Amino acid sequence: MVKLFINIGNKVLSFLYLMGGLSNLAFQSFYWTFAGPHKKQRILEQAQKAGVESLPIISLVALFIGVIMALQTAYQMQRLGSEMYIASIVALSLVRELGPVIASLVVAGRVGAAITAEIGSMQVTEQIDALQTLATNPIRYLVVPRLLALSIMLPILTLYADVIGIFGGYLICVHKLGISSSMYLNITFDSLLFKDLFSGLIKTIFFGMIIAFVSCYHGFNVEGGAEGVGRATTRSVVTSFIFIISADCFFTALFYFIFP
Amino acid sequence: MIEIQGLTKSFNGHKVLDNLNLTIDKGQTCVIIGRSGCGKSVLLKHIVGILKPDSGRILIDGKDITVLRDKELDELRMKMGMVFQGGALFDSLTVGENVGFEFIEHRKLDPRELLEIIEEALCMVGLCGIENLMPSELSGGMKKRVALARAICMKPEIIFYDEPTTGVDPITADSINELIRSLHDKIKVTSIAVTHDMKSAYRIADKIAMLYQGRIIAEGSSDEIQNTQHPVVYQFINGLAQGPITETLEQFR
Amino acid sequence: MIFGKTRLELKVGIFVFIGLVILVTFVLLIGDFKTWTSGYSINFMFNFVNGVKIGAPVRFAGVDIGEVKDIEFVFLPQEKKVKVKMIGWVKEEVKIPIDSTVWVNTLGLLGEKYVEIMPGEDHNNYLSPDQTLVGADPIAMHEMAELARRIAGNIDESIVKIKNKEGTVGRLLYDDTVYKELEALITDIRKHPWKLLSQPKEKPKKR
Repeated sequence: MVKLFINIGNKVLSFLYLMGGLSNLAFQSFYWTFAGPHKKQRILEQAQKAGVESLPIISLVALFIGVIMALQTAYQMQRLGSEMYIASIVALSLVRELGPVIASLVVAGRVGAAITAEIGSMQVTEQIDALQTLATNPIRYLVVPRLLALSIMLPILTLYADVIGIFGGYLICVHKLGISSSMYLNITFDSLLFKDLFSGLIKTIFFGMIIAFVSCYHGFNVEGGAEGVGRATTRSVVTSFIFIISADCFFTALFYFIFP
Repeated sequence: MIEIQGLTKSFNGHKVLDNLNLTIDKGQTCVIIGRSGCGKSVLLKHIVGILKPDSGRILIDGKDITVLRDKELDELRMKMGMVFQGGALFDSLTVGENVGFEFIEHRKLDPRELLEIIEEALCMVGLCGIENLMPSELSGGMKKRVALARAICMKPEIIFYDEPTTGVDPITADSINELIRSLHDKIKVTSIAVTHDMKSAYRIADKIAMLYQGRIIAEGSSDEIQNTQHPVVYQFINGLAQGPITETLEQFR
Repeated sequence: MIFGKTRLELKVGIFVFIGLVILVTFVLLIGDFKTWTSGYSINFMFNFVNGVKIGAPVRFAGVDIGEVKDIEFVFLPQEKKVKVKMIGWVKEEVKIPIDSTVWVNTLGLLGEKYVEIMPGEDHNNYLSPDQTLVGADPIAMHEMAELARRIAGNIDESIVKIKNKEGTVGRLLYDDTVYKELEALITDIRKHPWKLLSQPKEKPKKR
């Protein structure tokens, strides 16, 4: 019984440490982001890693999600005899929710893990200390380019995911359910509003920041060699997932109540 | 001149440095010896300002680096170089980019000038023409020498060595010792080395200080240390299994 | 880092550029190109609009020609009544006869409301910008229920009368006199079919 309380206490304590550490990291990163100047090359390298190289996997996932969404809604809508609404349901749920979340989760798993592993092994091999002795702030050198690259690339990746997901729905509706192609597109774009598109995109800027902060934080806090790097990577992905989903819940509620 | 006054630091309630005092004169090479894990590296990290002490002061040319702002600290660090135990080369950058890191980050130079400086630093450690290799392609000894080249590239006034000869073969170790010695003779840098390799210590040191239980328990020239009467120092430099150091450990158990 | 990597810039550039193209396309498609086609606005006056929202489509003879831009209340002192004024935007090329009728209609399964305009016959006078068309009110749900209740009441009353053997229908259903007479008649005709052919004797007219 006492052990249970100690366990709970430790969990709460480590969560508070995490929040404190993340806030500290975020504060310093924003400071250095605005203090500038930035090396263009370094941001581009990260943009390449985070954005361009994530495109194939995000396209694949988004395409399948579009197909799945179309088939699942078709199953429901055929009973009501209103297959026309498949297009708008697929478009709305992709643009508002699934596109942003899928892009963010894939990037958190793919890029966030890589960032934690990279910074973590730099920490283990004293490269972070070396940076400091070379008069270079590690946050400025390592975190800021990743922060900028992720929060700029993630909305763009989301746009790709939206388009490819809608294309997946299009394939099913036009070639399997016999809805005409112009009708599908008309309904898709009639049902979408600007706020749907932009609420989806704005979220991802914050998701990008979450991924950057969480994965850098876990990278800097690696302890205990290669095994520690592995543990930190797992923890970084799990933490990013939890934070992204809860932030998404928050944003969905926010947009629902503020812009009904 | 580096003065360390009353330096105290503890990790998780365990006192690693306990009211430590040490003075190193300009142009002197000081070797700090001690058992593994006794806080030598921690001391070094305090002097370059990576770690902040719980109490105490560290004066470098009269400036207390424990209270400096980031910007002033970075300016001071431009005059320092540090060679880490494993080299700590950035493995995403080439050898050339590693060596010229500080120039690339803090000085605007045209590429040709930069290449010359990098080449010069690499030749000084006897590794001419490898600037396009990646660190992963180098052996352990080469990495250490590249790290040394990186540390001396900016012509620093103080160089720190964290176990410069650990983990390399005896011949490479000797060439590194020679390098440190020649740097001291040629460009009159102040050097602080941390090691438990006594051969290397005698070779490079103007002054040897022994760190034990968070304090400097003995300091003096190579000869003075070699002929010491202090039982702890005597046990350490002669590498004996029996003696006061191991006895206190027994008491703990 | 010292040695230029322009291929990298190219890749990121292409990626960002296509992303921006997608964004612009989305914005244009969602925006329906409305900003590029010209049009004019007309007003509709209603007592009751049954929940039409801003952005609802306006249809003319069943074709989408514009949308509702704004909805506001106006107080008409001469009628002492609050009315709903809807400002609708319609495409330039659409000409609406001045005697057209307008009402609020419901579209499809999910009950989306839109404004329906039925073209009138006066093809000499068209509605000019900012003119007002007075709308026929849609039937409110509570009025519809009231009507249904009245109809049901009437039907109920008739059925009670029928059951009480009152009125023609009631008698026809419940009184078997008619049936018996009909049966007797048919039996009689079967037996004496010639009766159908026989003519009652008429006395010749005397002049």
